[in-house]
Amino acid sequence: MSAPSRPAGVLLRRLSKPNGRLLSSSTVPRASSRVFPGPVATSSAARWNSTTTSSSTSSTSTSSSSNFSSVNPDEVSHFNELAADWWDPHGSSRLLHLMNPLRHDFIRACHHTQADPPPSNGLTYLDIGCGGGIFAESAARLPSTRSVTAIDPTPSVLAIAKAHARKDPSLRNKLQYRQTSIEQLTIPTEEEAYDIVSLFEVIEHVDQPGAVLERVRPFVKPGGWLVMSTIARTWVSWFTTNFMAEDVLGIVPKGTHDWNKYLNEGELRGFLAGRGWSSPMVQGVMYVPGLGWKEVQGSERVGNYFFAVRKI
Amino acid sequence: MLARRSLLGKPGFICRSCVRQCQSQLTRAYSTSKDNIYDVVCVGGGPAGLSLLTALRANPVTSGLRVALIEAQDLSKVSSFALPITQFSNRCSSLTPASAQFLDTIGAWTHMKRERIQDYHEMQVWDGLTDARIEFDGQPSSGAGKTLAYMIENLNLTSGLLKRLEELGGVDIFDNTKVQNIDLGKETEEMDLSEWPIVELSGGQSLAARLLIGADGANSPVRAFSGIGSSGWDYGRHGVVASLQLEGDGWGGEFNKIAYQRFLPTGPIAMLPLPGNHASLVWSTTPEKAALLKSLSPKDFIAMVNAAFRLSAVDLGYLHTVPEGQEEELSWRTQHTHINAETVPQTVVGVQEGTVASFPLKLRHADTYIGERVALIGDAAHTIHPLAGQGLNQGQGDVQSLAKTIEYAVSHGQDIGSTLSLEPYSSERYAANHIILGVCDKLHKLYAVESGPLVPLRSIGLKAVNALGPLKNFFMEQASANGSKLL
Ligand SMILES: Cc1cc2nc3c(=O)[nH]c(=O)nc-3n(C[C@H](O)[C@H](O)[C@H](O)COP(=O)(O)OP(=O)(O)OC[C@H]3O[C@@H](n4cnc5c(N)ncnc54)[C@H](O)[C@@H]3O)c2cc1C
Repeated sequence: MSAPSRPAGVLLRRLSKPNGRLLSSSTVPRASSRVFPGPVATSSAARWNSTTTSSSTSSTSTSSSSNFSSVNPDEVSHFNELAADWWDPHGSSRLLHLMNPLRHDFIRACHHTQADPPPSNGLTYLDIGCGGGIFAESAARLPSTRSVTAIDPTPSVLAIAKAHARKDPSLRNKLQYRQTSIEQLTIPTEEEAYDIVSLFEVIEHVDQPGAVLERVRPFVKPGGWLVMSTIARTWVSWFTTNFMAEDVLGIVPKGTHDWNKYLNEGELRGFLAGRGWSSPMVQGVMYVPGLGWKEVQGSERVGNYFFAVRKI
Repeated sequence: MLARRSLLGKPGFICRSCVRQCQSQLTRAYSTSKDNIYDVVCVGGGPAGLSLLTALRANPVTSGLRVALIEAQDLSKVSSFALPITQFSNRCSSLTPASAQFLDTIGAWTHMKRERIQDYHEMQVWDGLTDARIEFDGQPSSGAGKTLAYMIENLNLTSGLLKRLEELGGVDIFDNTKVQNIDLGKETEEMDLSEWPIVELSGGQSLAARLLIGADGANSPVRAFSGIGSSGWDYGRHGVVASLQLEGDGWGGEFNKIAYQRFLPTGPIAMLPLPGNHASLVWSTTPEKAALLKSLSPKDFIAMVNAAFRLSAVDLGYLHTVPEGQEEELSWRTQHTHINAETVPQTVVGVQEGTVASFPLKLRHADTYIGERVALIGDAAHTIHPLAGQGLNQGQGDVQSLAKTIEYAVSHGQDIGSTLSLEPYSSERYAANHIILGVCDKLHKLYAVESGPLVPLRSIGLKAVNALGPLKNFFMEQASANGSKLL
């Protein structure tokens, strides 16, 4: 059993690192909220240029805001360091790039469970903690997509995302980046809400996952899906991600993961039960060297997994 | 001079000047941008390029891609290919059942002139020095001939593919057009095309390519642009081709056609069956001998081909030293040579005028098949000795794999030009092609040795089987992989 899990764990580590920074950087938004009162989005990403907004103020942020923050300041600076090789297919985000197609397979599988077909006039996505835009770009390229809004509070990461998106003219009218956190994003009306809200490799970097999940709910259209991926908290994932990858192999900088934040699938279910969600879907995935990412039934209890719920 | 022929449906009732005005506005508005941005720009409208575009257009997942084809030749001549059934083009290829099946899947097979395609069920291969022989047929046990391969004129194939493409529509075709230059794009206010290849055409247009396909043959300009090296060697051999007429339908009759190949010290000579009493010749030999063959009168050329399947290597060598009179020499020599007629192809009685031609043979393998926004397919990626008739089939394998790779990328929102998206194609095809290249190369070398330790070894049946085993395995595997018969 340890044989398959070990490689999977190593991957996870790398995976969650780049992705995690996406989300967790919400410290920044908080700061910006103080600087620019009211609905933020001043740095709104619709344009490709200028991204360096208020990052310098972020360090001054305190917890004065009555909002909770999903962002852990320590993690933000950590992830800034990793931004550079985000789009290098042979860089440290390689495993994330390789995993990305499975996210779409999972979303498709969710749609397949519906009796009613998903909207035919194009799906809208909100990608929370979009990072360099691996998922956001891919979602925007799908012919079935109408638009993608992708948010991340970390300016450097968002700058990478925007610069990269300029290299593909087909994204121009479909993908919008905004430097903000979910806490700062104005809650949409039901019609404006999204068909798919994604939280990929984010929840394990967040201090209060329950609060984030509550915050996210109004962004999902009734009948739409909240889709997540994360890592289970088991001794296997601790061993492979924290111990092997950080301490022994050193392939991931120490401190990338806080194993205590890993969420088990049952806990996620618990968080979401009775709060307006239905049809929970779970899919464990494993990286098998030589074969790539594979869906493996039951592996959600061991390592990386996708989880989704449909809004009632 | 209508260089750009759109296969899209013709606009209905729009007056010419409106169209012109509308177009010029577009050009002004987008100049080098949107109007010229393609998802796929394919350079080369040979078998590989046309098959790829057909596969992409025929698949609903990839049919939304904006695609362009650039071809130096006039494709209207290709698509109107028509010859009486008594004449055959000299460029023929043997398609494995797997390739034929693929062409059927993409809807092209039914557009071929099927009366001009000949399936064969048996192959006879022997060593010219020792006469060690190996025979194989589709399925020895079941008796009923399973198809080993289909002989098809390259033009029949490409014209069928073009017809299918016309039916599918949606390809911007620039034929009679050469690639003048390929460069990287620029970064502007609007977008950053600095990593996109921009293809400049002899007609003056330039096209930006999300994915640039090099299907442009052995001397691929796309490969050169991408800085992808290739390694290999020239065999110092030419392939002499001709369309022949035999004394009959073949020893197995109309329904059990046989292909023949004899390994001579200068290289293999192959006679491949075409419909009726027709056959296609591929004879690899030295450039000097090829030049002599091309200079001969039809009757002496015919005599040489007959001799090459019948006489000893020594006698045949002698016939190459005389400038004419091969026919008389052959008839004299055959009286003194014992030949079991049914072990060699039926006697050649005619050669179609203007079909004797030759091509230099080489082995080349690109160092990689992919680069950022570039993929190579077909002969642009690999050129092989024709002795196993695999060149075109390898290209079909490439196309099948690349089309699948692109389909996966599109359906998962990947950028089809990124190396990350293209990796599965390269890893799937590179090793497979390398093995085939290696086997054919070794076979050529083994049989190109006239004396020395290898020759006596060849005469031992075991050795012959060992040496030919891989060749046989190809055919057997290809035949069994997808053995259901088309036609
Ligand atoms: C003597 C001989 C016998 C053979 N027998 C067999 C056989 O029995 N079975 C088999 O499978 N294979 C055989 N082959 C190999 C087969 O013919 C080739 O593998 C096949 O034609 C390759 O197809 P392709 O589309 O990759 O390239 P090509 O057929 O070479 O097509 C390339 C195209 O690109 C175009 N092009 C090139 N440069 C430019 C440019 N700058 N701008 C625009 N267009 C350009 C060319 O005009 C051409 O149409 C044989 C080859 C030879 C020489």
